[in-house]
Amino acid sequence: MGGSILSVGIPYTWDEGLIILLMVSVLLIVVIILSVIKKIGVGKEFTYAILKGGGQLTVIALFLTFLFGFEYWYFLIWFLLGAMIIVSGYTSAKRATGMPNAYVVTTPSILLGSSVVLFVLGITRAMPMEPQFIVPLAGMAFGNSMAICSLCLDRLLREVKLSRCTIETMLSLGASSHDAMDEFGRLSVKTSLIPTIDRLKTLGIIFIPGAMAGLLIAGTDPLVAAEYQIIVYLMIVGGGIITAITVTFLSRKRLFNESEQLCDWL
Amino acid sequence: MSFIKINDAKKNLDGKRILKGINLDIKKGEIIALVGPSGSGKSTLLRCMNRLIDLDYGTIIFNKKNIFDVPTVELRRDMVFVHQESVMLKGSVFDNVSYAQKLMGEVDKNHVLKCITDSGLPIEFSEKNAEKLSGGEKKRVALARALSLKPSVLLLDEPTNGVDPKNIETVEKNIIDFSKNLGFTVLWVTHYIEQAKRVSDRIANLKDGIVRDVQKTKDFKWEGAY
Repeated sequence: MGGSILSVGIPYTWDEGLIILLMVSVLLIVVIILSVIKKIGVGKEFTYAILKGGGQLTVIALFLTFLFGFEYWYFLIWFLLGAMIIVSGYTSAKRATGMPNAYVVTTPSILLGSSVVLFVLGITRAMPMEPQFIVPLAGMAFGNSMAICSLCLDRLLREVKLSRCTIETMLSLGASSHDAMDEFGRLSVKTSLIPTIDRLKTLGIIFIPGAMAGLLIAGTDPLVAAEYQIIVYLMIVGGGIITAITVTFLSRKRLFNESEQLCDWL
Repeated sequence: MSFIKINDAKKNLDGKRILKGINLDIKKGEIIALVGPSGSGKSTLLRCMNRLIDLDYGTIIFNKKNIFDVPTVELRRDMVFVHQESVMLKGSVFDNVSYAQKLMGEVDKNHVLKCITDSGLPIEFSEKNAEKLSGGEKKRVALARALSLKPSVLLLDEPTNGVDPKNIETVEKNIIDFSKNLGFTVLWVTHYIEQAKRVSDRIANLKDGIVRDVQKTKDFKWEGAY
C-alpha cells in the first residue's frame, strides 16, 4: 500500500497511517463524552456516520488501488462513472417531492452538465487521461452537479407551488407553459448557483478548498495547486449551470401537461 | 344559434363531484350572470371553459368548435379568464396590461393605454407599480389585461370583489359598455343577486353542480335556490 503520491506528500506509510488514525480517533471519544455530558445526542449518530463513511472510503480506496494498477482500467472506469451518475440522479430526485419519476429529469441533467465540463477538461489536457485524474475530477463534477441540481429543483418546485395563482394568471392570458415558467426557471438557476459563486469569492480568504488542500499536502507547487483549484471551480460552475438549466427545461414537461395545464400532483 | 354550448359538463375535484352535468347555451354578445352558493361549481365551470382544467365528461362547443380541438393557447387568448384573485405580475401597470401582447411579439402602446383608461384607471397609473395598488385597482388592471387581447369572450370570476363600493358601479358600467360596444360575450360569476340583475341579460342559477334554471334578467324571480 502507499502509492507514489502518498510517499511524496505524506511522510508515513499506510500501516503507520493506520496507527496514527487510531490515535486521532481519540476525537471520536471526545465527541461521545461531550455528547453524553451535554445531552446533545449526536454521539451514536456520529459514531455510525464515521464508521459508515470510513467503510465506504475504504471500499473505494481498495477499488481505486485495483483500478490504478489494472491494465484495462479504461474499460472498468465506465462502470464506476455509470454508478456515479445513477446514484447522483436518484439522490437528487429525492428533492423533487411528489414529482413522478423525477430521476428521469435529474439523471440526464447531471449527466449532461458533468459530461460537457469533463469533455472540456479532457480536450484541454486539464484532465490527463489517467484514472487517478479522471476518477476524482468526475466525482467532483457529478457530486457538485448533483448538489446544484437538487437546489435548483427544490427551489423550482417551491416557486411553482407558491406561485400557482400567478402561473395560472399568465396561462389565462395566453402564455405558454414555457413563458409562464421563464421567470421561475431563471430564479431557480440563479439561486442554485449562489452558494458555489459565494465560495468562489472567498477562495483562499476563509478557507483553502479541498482540491488545493489535497494538492498542497501531496507536495504540489502552491501556484500550480491554485491554478488547478480555479480549473476545478470553473468545472463546477460550468457543469452546474448546464445542469440547472437542463433540469429546469426538463421539469417543465413534468409540471405541465400537453394541454398547458399545471399537473395534478402539484 | 349558440355561440357557446355547454353540454352535460361533469368534473370531479379531489374526489368530490363539483360539476354534475351542466347544460348552458350562450348567445354571442350577451352577458350571462352565474349565481349560486359557494361550492356550486361557478368558478370550476369558468376554469374548465378556459381549459386551466379539463372536463371529465361532456363538451363545450365554442364558435362551432369543440374547445378540445382548439390549441389551448389560442383558446385562452380568445376566451379570457379574469381570476377572482387579481394577481399582479411584476412591473408597472403598463407592463401588466401589455403582457399578453408582448407574448405575441408586438405591443400596441395606444391600445394598451386605452385598455387602462377603459377599465376605469387614470392614464397616470400606467407607470405605477402594479403590486402596490389597492384591491379594487388591481381588479381593474386584471380587467384591462384581459381587454388588451381583444377577446370574443370574457370569463369574469367575481370581478368587483374587493372593489370599494363607490367604484363598483363604474366597473360594472365599463364591462357592460365593452360588451355592447365591442361585442364581447361575458360570463359573470357573482355572489350578489342584485349585481346579477344590474349587469346581465340572463341569469343562470347554479346549485350543487347543476344549472337549476336560466331566466331573462327582466323576468328573473328569486326562488330561493341561492
